[in-house]
Parts: sequence; structure tokens; C-alpha cells
Amino acid sequence: MRPLDEQETTQVFEKLFKYVGNNLKNIVENPSHDASSSRYVFRLQKNRVYYVSESLVKRATNIKRHNLVSLGTQLGKFTKSGKFHLTIQCLGLIAANAKHKVWLKPTSEMSFLYGNHVLKGGLGRITENIKENDGVVVFSMSDVPLGFGVAAKSTADCRKMDPNGNVVLHQSDIGEYLRMEDDL
Amino acid sequence: MGKKQKVVLPPELPPDVPLEDVQVSDEDVQFVAANEAYAGFLSNMDTRNITKHVTRVADLKEDALEAYYASRRRRKSSENEKENMIEVAHKDALPVKTPDGQLYYKTTPKLQPKPEGENDKANEDDWTVKSVVKLTKAEKRAKNKKARKEAKKQVKDGAEVEQDLQTSQADVLDEVKKDLSAEEIIEKKKYKLAELGTTLLADPERNIKSLREMLDISKDGNQEVVTLALKSLLAVFRDIIPGYRIRLPTEKEMEMKVSKIIKKMRLFESTLLSSYKSYIQKLTALEDQSVYKRVAVRCLCTLLEAAPHFNFRQDLVAAVVRNLSSQDDVLRKSCCAALKYIFTNEAKHGGEATLEAVQLIANLVKSHNCQLHPDSIEVLMSLVFDEDLGKSEKADQDKRGKKFKKGKNNEEKNKLTNNERKRSRQESVSKTREEVEVDFRSASLGKDAAESRRIQSDTLSAVFQIFFRVLRHTLQSSSLQGASESHPLLAPSLKGIGKFSHLIDLDFMADLMNYLGKLAGGGVNSSDSENSAKRLTVTERLQCCIVAFKVMKSNLDALNIDLRDFYVDLYNLILDYRPGRDQGEVLAEALKIMLCDERQHDMQRAAAFIKRLATFSLCFGSAESMAALVTLRHLLQKNLKCRNLLENDIGGGSVSGAIAKYQPYASDPHISGALASVLWELNLLAKHYHPAVSTISLNISTMSAADNPVSYSMLSPQQAFAELSLEQELSKGTNNSSISSGKKKKSGIPATFQVNTDMVDEIDESEVRKKLSEHFVVLRDISENEKLRAELEFTSWSLQLYDQYKKHKKRKSKAT
Repeated sequence: MRPLDEQETTQVFEKLFKYVGNNLKNIVENPSHDASSSRYVFRLQKNRVYYVSESLVKRATNIKRHNLVSLGTQLGKFTKSGKFHLTIQCLGLIAANAKHKVWLKPTSEMSFLYGNHVLKGGLGRITENIKENDGVVVFSMSDVPLGFGVAAKSTADCRKMDPNGNVVLHQSDIGEYLRMEDDL
Repeated sequence: MGKKQKVVLPPELPPDVPLEDVQVSDEDVQFVAANEAYAGFLSNMDTRNITKHVTRVADLKEDALEAYYASRRRRKSSENEKENMIEVAHKDALPVKTPDGQLYYKTTPKLQPKPEGENDKANEDDWTVKSVVKLTKAEKRAKNKKARKEAKKQVKDGAEVEQDLQTSQADVLDEVKKDLSAEEIIEKKKYKLAELGTTLLADPERNIKSLREMLDISKDGNQEVVTLALKSLLAVFRDIIPGYRIRLPTEKEMEMKVSKIIKKMRLFESTLLSSYKSYIQKLTALEDQSVYKRVAVRCLCTLLEAAPHFNFRQDLVAAVVRNLSSQDDVLRKSCCAALKYIFTNEAKHGGEATLEAVQLIANLVKSHNCQLHPDSIEVLMSLVFDEDLGKSEKADQDKRGKKFKKGKNNEEKNKLTNNERKRSRQESVSKTREEVEVDFRSASLGKDAAESRRIQSDTLSAVFQIFFRVLRHTLQSSSLQGASESHPLLAPSLKGIGKFSHLIDLDFMADLMNYLGKLAGGGVNSSDSENSAKRLTVTERLQCCIVAFKVMKSNLDALNIDLRDFYVDLYNLILDYRPGRDQGEVLAEALKIMLCDERQHDMQRAAAFIKRLATFSLCFGSAESMAALVTLRHLLQKNLKCRNLLENDIGGGSVSGAIAKYQPYASDPHISGALASVLWELNLLAKHYHPAVSTISLNISTMSAADNPVSYSMLSPQQAFAELSLEQELSKGTNNSSISSGKKKKSGIPATFQVNTDMVDEIDESEVRKKLSEHFVVLRDISENEKLRAELEFTSWSLQLYDQYKKHKKRKSKAT
């Protein structure tokens, strides 16, 4: 377990910035519940990035590195080729601070939870001013976060699309907790 | 034989002299009597036929003959005149001007020469009688006015004369004479005007020449006379302008021979046109002089309303638009009214005048750099567009294309089967048909649908050019450093965008929303306190938000878009609101449109708004807090989970989400963590001094999480605000009505409005006036008191100073 180096930090922050925009500072400066002084920090453990409160980090030093399976909230992982991917565990964090949101109609929720893209027909509501390739958080109509993805079209273009076009490209959804239990 | 001879010879017209005057010589008589065989035909000859024949034949060498005839007749008539010594005075004869500047006109009916016949005379009398009876309303009004003015003048004169008597007598006599003569002239002119006007109205075609005389009178030096002349000309023009546009005949057409009636018509039209032109020029010239400005502009406006189809419309429209943003309230109002009339009644001019006016307004806005009176854009609000303007154009074109294609296909098939001769015949038939169609289209009165659509779309583009220019200008000036201007046009153009937004293309929509977002944000990003002075006012920013939502609702209902940025703006604007400075109605409208009408909300956002509205309603007047509380109740009814705010435990439990603590200073409702807080404000509001507010807050706080959202009340925040602000204004009977309305609200009957409107009716104006006067008396007393007190203080202070000075002196003297 170690703090991220500079290059890794920029990679992680750039990825998060796509989803939360300027709210990134809320994530970084978020004060922890326990002690008034401690904050949340980013830690790297076995290629995975965790979002942990400082006090927990101190306590986790008691455990040997190869014995430590997980701590805090996992944000994502670095792939073998050195890229950073967000994983589904970070959903709570980015959903609370999301800049661009998409709400799904109840009928198309299941389809998304099985790993499919979001079609225009299944779109219940969409935030204004989304641009292409922005990170988007997907919600159900009752405001339960379902997953996240990348916008395939800007909001303006969405109006002209036919109902079968992709609006959001699937990246991750909460169905993965069941489908890919072993990998997580 | 005889007839033939007459043809060959240059024909002598039978003399015009009556039969009795013809002197037949004895020789002739004898000749006829002797050779009855020869001359018998003379007695039974049809003279009329012969004359006709002769004139027809004479057409062959028309020019020379005609000239000859004309000269002969003239000679004869002059001789006649000399013989009869009868004065022929045409009614159109020019006036005679005496050296002292008086004009003498020969009045028509009296000097009518006899030879024209009794008939004419009778006719003439008829006209005058008719004209007296048939005074138009305008004319009557003018006359009444004149009479009143005269009366006034006379009274004044009398006063003057009396005053002058006290001074030296010789002067007085002179002056009185002068005055009287001047008076007389003016009187005469007035009568002249009235006379000319009535004759014109009675038979415009015959008396069209008198328009010129009236115009001449309008060049008079006297203000009163000029004003009257302008007004009576206006009345005349309004009545005699025909329902079509006059096109002056080309030279070629002038050369062509035309019948008498047409000639007369042409004369009438050309005179009318030229005098109309000079009248308008006169008006536009007078418009610059401050004395005549009001009259001239009013005349122009009325003319535009009466004859938007007639020639010189451009000049009229230009003049009216020029005065649209004038400082003078009366002028501006009349111009606005005229333009509104033009906009709403397009049947007369087919929309062309509208297009011209709108384009001119656009130019005006451009040249004045958007610094105009808001009325000048408010006018555009009364424009009417076809609802299907934007949509059906393409569909129509497609249809037309299809039809065309079908026709072609058929033709081709036919052509293939038929032989050449038939084909050629068909071609010729189709060609003639086309020609006929083209002719028909040009001749038909109704405007083409495509044409009217083109005009409308041009108008629309001009209108939006104005709106976007205003928006851009506002944006630029607010981002500019230093200069802080007001934006008088922003509010009306925002309103206009809200009204017409459903007509513009979707491609513009993104830009429009972008602009609106920037304006509504109003530079929130720059946190300089210095910059905040240059921002738009809260009202304007609220209006931006409202318009954005209206645009969204009218256009983009198909895709449910969440206008997150505008919610953030509203969330912050609620705090910036100050009751005296900003318009509460706008805030209430924003609350209604953004919070009540929207179908769903984020839970976090709804909670944040609930919390903020509760805080807000603690600090402001009863009307604002009432609006806020109504919205709050609405939100709570819709969002079941937000009712956790009503529970008495801090932290919010599982619903509160990632943010576990309420952050009252957060600028984004999504991360304020409002779900973790408690609505303690309601408890305080239950003790509000205003019964309605306390009732509704009690009502809200008893709403539990288990409640069903069935008990909907129909009251919107706007209504609530209007009600309470009305009550504030009417200090009388506030308590009773508010209690009753509060009760009704509780039971959910939306009849509260009626009670209040009834109350408004009951209170009559005099009472209000009395109240106001009392109020102002009190105010004046207060200020007077203050003044007196200041004086008193000053004197006492100076007294003290004087005492001190005395003491000082005494001490000094003692010391010495």
C-alpha cells in the first residue's frame, strides 16, 4: 500500500473529472467522519486505487501488504497496460457528485443492468449540456444510481436521433456485483 | 349625294347657337320652297346621326381636325362671353390675393353662371345640403373643437381689449384693429378649411383640387391654423383614400387614348397621390419642430392605421418607428398603439407593413446600441404568427414535389403511347393552360400562401434578430470591465423569446440555452465583490431562468431534459432576493415554473430547495414567505422521501446519502446535504404574525411520512403571493379576509381568489385617495418636523457657543 505517484494521480483525477467536473474538490477535500483533522486520501494496493480515510490508513499499516485484501472504497484499477479504469464500487462517490446524469425509464433498467448500452427509447430524462464523450452517471427514475458510462451523443444531438440509437455507452453497472463477483 | 359631299368636304359642325338665334336668310327660304325635291331631305334629316358620322370620320385625321375644332369652339365661346357679358367663375378658380395678404375665394354656388343650366344649379344645391347633413364624425369633432377654440379666443380678446383700454388710446385702437383683422383672417381660414373639407367629403372626385388649397393653408404661419389644417386633412384623407394602391400610369399608357371617365379617374388619382405625398412630407418635416410634434406624430399614426395598404407606406412606417422610443409618453403610446394595430390587423396590407416595421425596429435597436425604451420591443409582443409556420413548410414542399412527379409520369406515359401530332397538340394545350394559370395567379386578389409564409418567416427572423442582439449586447456589456449600463430591453425581449420560442429552429435552441444560462449565472464564477455590481439584477436573472424553462417546455417536451444549471442559479438567487428591490411576482413565477410544474426532481435537490425555502420564508415579508411555503408544501407532497426532513432527528439516516452534514453555504443544491437537516423553521413560522402563514406552516409540519399525497391544493405560489401582497396594500380589513382565506386553504377549496377580488371591488377609489392623501400629509409633517428640529438644534448650538464665548471673554478679562 502506497500513495499514488504524480503520474498515477493525474490519471486518476482526469478520469474522475470526466464524471464529477468541478465537484472533484469536494471528493479530495472531503472531511472524514471520525476525527476532525483527518481527510480522505487515495492509496494504491495491488494495482487497485482505494479512497480511504486517513485514520483507517494508519490502522491498516498493522496488516501485512500481501494479506491486505481491501480497504476503504475501491475507486478503480490500473490495467496491465497502465491505464486507469473506474470500477463499480466508486459509483456511490461519483453519483453524489455527478455533473451529467441520465435517468432511465423503468422498462429499460433491466437491459442496462445486464450490461447493454442505453438507447434513446429508454431515456427518461437527461441533463442539459452534455457533450460527446463526457462521463455520465445512470440513475433509475427513483434516483437510485445504476451505473455509469460515456455519452455517445451530445444532448442537442439526442433530440434528432432515432429511438434505437445509443445515448450512453455502457461502462459499468451494479449488475456486475452478481455477474463478475470473482473479479471485483 | 348630299351626305357624300359632307364627308368629303371639311365638315362644318352645326353651330352651337340655339335655333332661335339662327338667322335664315330670305334667299335660302325661297330656295328651299322652290326646289322641294332637292331640299326636302333637309327637313327630315337626322342631324344627330350626321354629327356622329362626321366625328367618326374626322378621327381619320384626328390631330389637325381636333385642334381646329378646339380653336374654333374656343373662339366661339369667347365671343359668346363677350356678347352675353356673363361672368364665368369656375369653382376651381384660383384665389385672389390682395396686397395686404388676404385671400379671396369665389364661392361656387352663388356665382354659378346661368348657361350651365338650371339642372346643375340644383345639383350643386343638393351637394351642399347633403354635405351639411353628412358630416363625418371626425369632421364634427373638428368643428366642435374649432367652435370651442373660437369661443375661447373671443373671451381672451375681450380681456385683452379691456386691458389695453387702460393704456393710451391711439395704440389701443391700432392694436385692436390689427388683432381683429388677424382674427378675421384666422376665422376665415378656419371656415375655408371646413368648407373645403365638407365639399371634398361630399364628392371627392370632382373636388379633388381643393386638397391643394387645404395644403396651402397648412403652410400658414399661425400655429392654430396649421394644426387645424393638418387635422382636417387627416380626416379628409382617411375618408377618401381608396381601398387599393394607386399605380401612376406609365408614359406609354398616357399616350394611349382613353375614355373620359378613365381620364377623370387618372386625374383624381394623380392629384390625390401628389397631395398625399406632400402632406406626408409636411408631416415629417413638422415632426422635428417641438410645437407641432405631437400633432404630426398623431396624424402619422392615424394615417398608418387607416391606410397601411396605400402608397408611401414606407415613409409612414419609418416615421412612426422613429418616434417609437421617444421621451414623450404620449407620442410613444400613440406610436405603439398604431404599430400594434398594424400587427394585429394584417388583412389590409397582407403582412408587408408588419415586415417593414419589424425590420425598421431591428435597425433602430441596432443603431441605438440597445438603449431604448422597453415599449419599443413590447410592441412585438402583439405579433401574430401562424402556428404551423416552421413545421409544415417542408411537408408542403414534399407534397408538391410528389404531385409534380406524378403528373410528369402520367405525361410521359401518354407521350410514349401517342403519336407525334397528338403530342404536339397536348403540348400546346398544356402551354396555354400554364399561361392561363400564371395570369390567374397574378390577377387573383388573395395572396399566395407561399408568399404570406415568406413574409411571416422574414418577420420572424427580424424579430429574433432583435432578441438575440439584445441578449448578446447584455452579455457583452456585463462581461466588460468598467462600464455598467442598465439593460432596458432585456426584460421585454426575454418575454418575447418565451412567447415565440416555439417557432424557431431546434438548431438555435442550444445557443439560446447557452446564452440564457450565462445570463442567469450572471458571473457567479467570478467571486469578486467588485464584479457583482455589474451583474444583472436578481429580477432579470430570474426572468432568464423562467424563459429557459418556458422554452424547454414549449419545444423540447419530447426529450425530458434536466436543466441542472438553472436550478443551481435559482438556489443561489433565492438568497440574493431583497423584497423592496426585486419583484416578488417574478420570484413567485420562477418558483411555480421551476419547482411546482416540473414532474420529477432529484431527491437531494428537492430537499435542498425545501430547506432553503424554509430559511427564506423566515426572513421576508408575509407575501414572499407565503409563496415559498406553498412551493415547499408542493415539493413535500411530491417527494415522499423528503418528508424525513419533518422528523425530529438530525442526520437523516440512510437517505441522506454521501454527505452526512448539512452545509448551508454550499452553492450547489446537489451537494448541500440538506437531507441531513431538520425543518426547524416551520416551528418558528407557526408563530408567525400573519395568520395565513402560521396556518400553512402548521399544516405542513403535521404532514407525516405516511401521508398520501392526495390532499393537493390548487393554489400556486403566484396566486398566494398576489393575494398576500394585495392584502398588504389594502390595510383595511386585512385580518378578516386573511383568516377566511387561510381557512379555505386548509380545506383545499380553490375559491380564495374570489373573496379577494370582491374585496378589491368594494373599495372604491375615493377611499384610496383619501388614504393616500392622509399618508402624504403625515409624511410631509414628518419632514417638516425634522426640518424644524434641525433648526432648533442649530440655534441652541449657536447659543451655547455664544455662551462659551462670553465665559471665555470674562475669564480673559478677569485674568487681565
